[in-house]
Amino acid sequence: MERRSMGMAAKRRTANIITYVILVMISIIWIIPFIFLILQAFDVGNPGLTGNVWPEKWGLGNFAYLFSSESNFLRWYFNTFIIALFACVGQTAMQFMMAYALSRFRFKLRKPMMNVMLVLGMFPGFLTMIVLYEVLNSLGMTSDNAVPGLILVNIASSGMGYYVAKGFLDTMPKSLDEAAEVDGATKFQVFYKVVMPLCKPIVIYTVLTSFMGPWGDYIFAATIAKGSQEGMNVATGLNSWLSTANIGGYYKYFCAGGVIVAIPVIILFLFLQKYYVEGVTGGAVKG
Amino acid sequence: MARVQLENVKKIYSGNVTAVHDFNLDIGDKEFVVFVGPSGCGKSTTLRMIAGLEDISEGTLKIDGEVVNDLQPKDRQISMVFQNYALYPHLTVFENMAFPLRLDKKIRIHPWTEKEIDGLNNQIKKLQEQRDAANEKKKAAIDKKIEFIRASIEKGKEVKGFTNDEIFERVTNAAKVLGITNFLTRKPKAMSGGQRQRVAIGRAMVKDCKVFLMDEPLSNLDAKLRNQMRAEIILLRKRINTTFVYVTHDQTEAMTLGDRIVCMRDGFIMQVGTPTQLFDMPDNLFVAQFIGAPMMNTFLTKLVKDGDKYYVDLFNRKLPVSGVKADGLKAKGIQTRDILLGIRPEHLIVAKDSGEGTIPVTIEVNEMMGSEYHLHVSSEDGTKIIVRIPTINLSDKERENMVPGNVINLAFEPKAMHFFDPDSEINLLAGPEAVNSKGPIILPSEREQV
Amino acid sequence: MKILDKDSYLKLNKWKRFVYKFKYFFLITIPRVFFKIEKLDAISYLKLNIWKRIGYKIKFFYLIKIPTFFKNLGKKIWKGIKGFGLGIAHFFKNLVVTFIEGDIWTKLSYFFMGIGSFARGQILRGILFATMELVFIFYMIFTGGYYLGKFNSLGLIQPLDADENVVVGADNSFKIMLYGALTLFFIAAFIYTWYLNIKQNRINEQLKKDEKAIADTKDDLRAVVDQQFHRTLLALPTLGIIVFTLLPIFFMILVAFTNYDANHNGVSNALFGWVGFDNFRTLFSWSAGGKNYAATFGEILVWTLIWAFFATFTNYFLGLVVAMLINKKGIKLKKVWRTVLVMSIAVPQFISLLYVKNMFAYDGIMNDIIQFFGGNRIHFLDDQASALTVRITVILINIWIGIPYLMLVTTGILMNIPADLYESASIDGANVFQQYTKITLPYMLFITGPYLLTSFTGNMNNFNVIFLLTGGAPHPQELEAGQTDLLVTWLFQLTMKDNSYSLGAVLGIIVFIVVALISLIVYNILPSTKNEEAFQ
Repeated sequence: MERRSMGMAAKRRTANIITYVILVMISIIWIIPFIFLILQAFDVGNPGLTGNVWPEKWGLGNFAYLFSSESNFLRWYFNTFIIALFACVGQTAMQFMMAYALSRFRFKLRKPMMNVMLVLGMFPGFLTMIVLYEVLNSLGMTSDNAVPGLILVNIASSGMGYYVAKGFLDTMPKSLDEAAEVDGATKFQVFYKVVMPLCKPIVIYTVLTSFMGPWGDYIFAATIAKGSQEGMNVATGLNSWLSTANIGGYYKYFCAGGVIVAIPVIILFLFLQKYYVEGVTGGAVKG
Repeated sequence: MARVQLENVKKIYSGNVTAVHDFNLDIGDKEFVVFVGPSGCGKSTTLRMIAGLEDISEGTLKIDGEVVNDLQPKDRQISMVFQNYALYPHLTVFENMAFPLRLDKKIRIHPWTEKEIDGLNNQIKKLQEQRDAANEKKKAAIDKKIEFIRASIEKGKEVKGFTNDEIFERVTNAAKVLGITNFLTRKPKAMSGGQRQRVAIGRAMVKDCKVFLMDEPLSNLDAKLRNQMRAEIILLRKRINTTFVYVTHDQTEAMTLGDRIVCMRDGFIMQVGTPTQLFDMPDNLFVAQFIGAPMMNTFLTKLVKDGDKYYVDLFNRKLPVSGVKADGLKAKGIQTRDILLGIRPEHLIVAKDSGEGTIPVTIEVNEMMGSEYHLHVSSEDGTKIIVRIPTINLSDKERENMVPGNVINLAFEPKAMHFFDPDSEINLLAGPEAVNSKGPIILPSEREQV
Repeated sequence: MKILDKDSYLKLNKWKRFVYKFKYFFLITIPRVFFKIEKLDAISYLKLNIWKRIGYKIKFFYLIKIPTFFKNLGKKIWKGIKGFGLGIAHFFKNLVVTFIEGDIWTKLSYFFMGIGSFARGQILRGILFATMELVFIFYMIFTGGYYLGKFNSLGLIQPLDADENVVVGADNSFKIMLYGALTLFFIAAFIYTWYLNIKQNRINEQLKKDEKAIADTKDDLRAVVDQQFHRTLLALPTLGIIVFTLLPIFFMILVAFTNYDANHNGVSNALFGWVGFDNFRTLFSWSAGGKNYAATFGEILVWTLIWAFFATFTNYFLGLVVAMLINKKGIKLKKVWRTVLVMSIAVPQFISLLYVKNMFAYDGIMNDIIQFFGGNRIHFLDDQASALTVRITVILINIWIGIPYLMLVTTGILMNIPADLYESASIDGANVFQQYTKITLPYMLFITGPYLLTSFTGNMNNFNVIFLLTGGAPHPQELEAGQTDLLVTWLFQLTMKDNSYSLGAVLGIIVFIVVALISLIVYNILPSTKNEEAFQ
C-alpha cells in the first residue's frame, strides 16, 4: 500500500527528539542574558567595562556602592516600592469596581461608556502627561515630590484597564447572583460576599501585574520626576546611569542594581506564577 | 469493503494499566459489528486502535489480510464518525464534507475526452514529422516519446486526487442522501445536533473507505432523535455497503443495528454473537443483564435433579424445567446444585391462580408505560422482581387488580429460564469458550492452565 | 462596436480581423471580466474551484459590497441626523410642557434647584441639587466667568514686556485654557444636573397624582448599596478617568490648535494663542523654519506600521510554535520549559532591554563573540548603524522579549482545541503541517483576532522597547527624528526635549486617527465578531 520506511511510533520518537533539542536551545537563549547580568554584577574590576562577561575580580563592591550614600539607588528603590504598593491596591480596586459594574449590570450608559473608554484608549497615554505634569506641578507633586504624583497618576485612570477582570467575571454564572438576591442580599453584599471571593485567581493576577508595573515604568516616571534625581524610580534612575555621559563609570552598578530589582519581583512571581498563567490564559484573550 | 482481523490485540498504558486484554475478533467483509459495554470497558480504545489513533501494544491488526499496526490512520483507508462530531467550525458544511476529498493525493485514471485524444494524436503526428527529419540518435529518443504518449492514451488520464467537479458531485450526492442539501453553505454553529451529526456522517461517506468506524455517534442526541437516526443508520448501511464497526453503550442500538455484537467489560470480551444469540443464550450473567431492558431478574436458588426431570426450588415452590433447557441440562449431566436463576421481566407471566409453578408476590409500584405495565413486585422474603406485562389483552378487572399492595401470582416461562453458576456466573448451558463475569476475569485460553 | 457573427468575421481580411480582435478585447472582454458580475446562488458557488472563488469574492466585494456599504452608510447618517434633530426638538418641547403643566414647586425648581425635592420630602436630593446650583453660581462668578471670557484670546497681557522684564498681573495662557476647558465641562455638567432636577419634579408630580410612593432619603440611601449599586461602584473609577484622562485629552486636542511651544509657554516668556490648523500644515510641510516635518512624519508613520506588524505577528506565530512544541504529546517536563520562559517575563522589562542593549553595543558581548569567530564588529543599535540593521535587530530583540508572553496566551487556547478535530483530520489524510494550517491556525486566529488587534495597536505605541533599545537611532541630519522612532517616541521627544507641545499634540491626534481607522477596519473584517459561538 504505502511506504513502510518508518512506523508511526518511530516517527513520533524522532519528532520528539528534535523537539527536545529545540526546547533546550530555546531555554539557553532565554536564560543566558540573565546569567551574564548576574555575573557582571559581581565583577568589581573596572566598573565601566561592558565587554567581559566573566568577572575580572569577584566581589560585592558593586552592591556596596548601591547601598552607599553616594548613589541614589536606595531612594529610587524606596520610591518605586511605595508606588508599587499603592498601585497594586488602588489599581486592583478600581479595575474590579469598573469590571464588576460593567459585567453584572445592564444600564443605559453601559455600551456608550465602554465605547468612550475604547476610544480614549486609542490616544497615546503619554498625551495626558503634559497637562497632568503642569497640574501636579502647581500642586507641588512633581520633581522631588514625584512619588505622590506618580501614585495618583497610576491609580486614577486605571479603571480603563478593566478588560481582563471583566472577561473573567463574564464567565461566572449569573445564577449565583440571583440565588444570593433571593436569599435577601443587597447587590453590595452579592459583590463582596459571593462574587469577589470566587475571583481569587484573577484578583491575584491583577495585584501581581499592577505591582510589577511601576518597576518598569519609564515614561510616566521620567515626565513627572523631571529634573530631579530624588524623585526618580528605579527605571529612570538606572537608565540615567547608562546614558552616554555616564556609561564610563556606571555599567557594573547598573547590573548590580538590575539584580537587586529583579530578585524580589522574580520571587514574588515564582510564588504567584500559577495565578499569572491563569490570568493570562483565561482572561487576557477573552476580553 | 474489507475484512478486519484483530489477533491477540492488547492495549497497555504506561504504569501497567491494561485497557484491552487479548482481543480476538474476525470481522467479515461488509459485516456490521457493534462493540457494546459500560463506560470504560475498552470499546472506544479498541475502535481507536483500529483507526490508528492509539498504538497497539501487543498483537496484530489486519485489514484485508495486510498487517496495518504501523500504518498512519490516513493510509488505512478508513472513515470515522466521532461522538462530538469533530466538525471544523470555521468551514461551511460543504467544505467540511469536501475536506478529506481535497486532501486526497491518490492517482486515479480518468478516460480521455475526445478533444484530449485529438490533441495527443496531434502531438504524435508532430513528433513523427520531427522523426522523419531527425538523425539516428534523435530518432530513438523521439520513438520513446511517441511510445510514451501512445501508452498513456491506452491507459487513460492520470489525475492526482479529485477534481473540483468530482468533489462537488460526491458532496452533493451525500448531502442528498442525508437530507442536508439546504445546509451546504451554513457553518456548523448554525445547525442542530442532529444536523451536525449528519454532516459528520456525510464527511465520512464521501471517501472510498474499507472500514467505516463510528464512535458513539448517537450519544449526544435526545431520545427521539436517537430513534430516528438509528433507522437512518440502517438505511445508510444498505447504501454504503461496507464493513462497519460501531461503538455504543446503548444496548438497544447494539441489538437493532448489529449483525454481530461484541459485548465488552473491563477490557475483556464477554461474548461475541448475533443479537439473537446474546439475547436468548447469554454466555454469562453480565451479558444476560446488560442486554435487554429492564434488567433480567436473578435469584440465588437450587436446581434439583429429580430422576430424569429437573425443577427449580424457589421460595419453597417447585418450578419445573422442561423442553430444550431440560434436554440441555441432561446432555451436560448437570446434577442438583446451587444456581443463579435468571429470567427476563417479559418472560414472567401473571397466572390466574396460585398453583404449581407459581409464586405469590406483592405489587409495590406499577409503572404505566402505555402499552405495558412494569410491575415492581417483591416476593415473600423481600426479593425484588420486575415484571413486564402487555396491557392490550388485560380485562378491566385485571387492570384494577394491578395496584400497589395487591398480591398476584407469577409463573416462569419454562423456555426462558437461564441457569448460571453462582461463582463464575457462567451459563451452565454455554460452550467452552464462555468467559466468567464474576471476580477476576479468566479467559478460556488461560483456564486450561489453571 | 458591433459584434460580428462567425460568417461576417470570416469575411474580414487578416488586418481587419486583428483590429476587430483588439477592439473586442478592450471593449467587451475586459469590461465583462472586471465589471460585470453574475450573482451566484449557494450551490453554484460551491461548484467553482478555489481560484474562481477568489475572483468571484473580489468582484463581489468591490462591485456589490462597497456600493451597498456606502448606500447604507448614507441612509444611517440621514437617519441619525433626523433622529438628532427630533431629539433636540423633543427636549425643548418637554421643558416647555413641564413648566406649563407643573405645579408651583416644579415651576420654582426651574430657578431654584432643589425646591421641588424639598417640597416632596426628598431631603437628600434637595440638598444635593441646591448645593450644586450654589457651587456653580459661585464658581462662575469668581473663576469660570473670568477665564471663559479670556478663552477666545487666551490672554492679552504678555508676561514679559518689550525689555524682557516680568510684568505683574500678566495673563497665563495655560491657566486660561485649562480653566476655560474645565468651565465648559462644568457648564455641561450643570445643565445635565438642572435637567435631572426638572425631570424628577415631573416624575414625582405624576407619582403623587397617581398616589404612588415617592422615594425618600431612606430609600435613596438604601439604593446606594442595592439598586443603584453600579453607580456607587462606578463613581470613583469614572471620576478618575474623567479627570485624569478625558479632560487632559480634550485639553491636548485644544492645544493642537494653539502655538504652545518652547517660545510660547504662556507663562514665563510669551502667551500663546489660537492658530487654527497651522500646526497640521507644519507637520505636513517640507520646510517649515528649516525643518522637514513631512518627510519625517512619512518615514516614521511607515516604520511605525511596519514595526507594529512585525512585532505583533512574529511574536504571535513563533510564540504559537513554541507553545505547540511544549504542548506536544509525549514531551515531558512541560512545566519546566514553561517556567524557564515565564521567568523572563518576571524580570522587569527595562532591565532586560537595557542589558540586552549593552550586549549589542559596539564593544558589547555579541560583538566580542563575533570577533572571536573572526568577524568584524557590527554596529547594531547605535547612531553609526544603518537604519536597516537597527530595525532588524530591534525586531529580533523584541521577539526575545515577547515570545514567553505569547506562549502563555496561546497555550491556554491551544489546550482548548478539541482533540478530535485533529484526529478527524489525521484520518482524513492531513499531515502535521496541514493540520497546523487548517485547524490550529484558523482556530487560533479566530479566538485571538481581537487580541491581535489590540496587540497591534499596542505595539504601535510601544514606547519602552524602542526608546530603551535604540533611543530612535540612527538620527540622520535630514530628519527631525530617528529612523527607528515610533510616532510615540517622537512625541515624547517633541514634548520633553523641545517643548513643542502644540506639535506634539497634533502628533498625538494623528496617532489616534491611525489607530482608530485600523481598528475600525479590522474589527469589521474579523470573522470573530460575526461568528461568536462557532467554536462553542
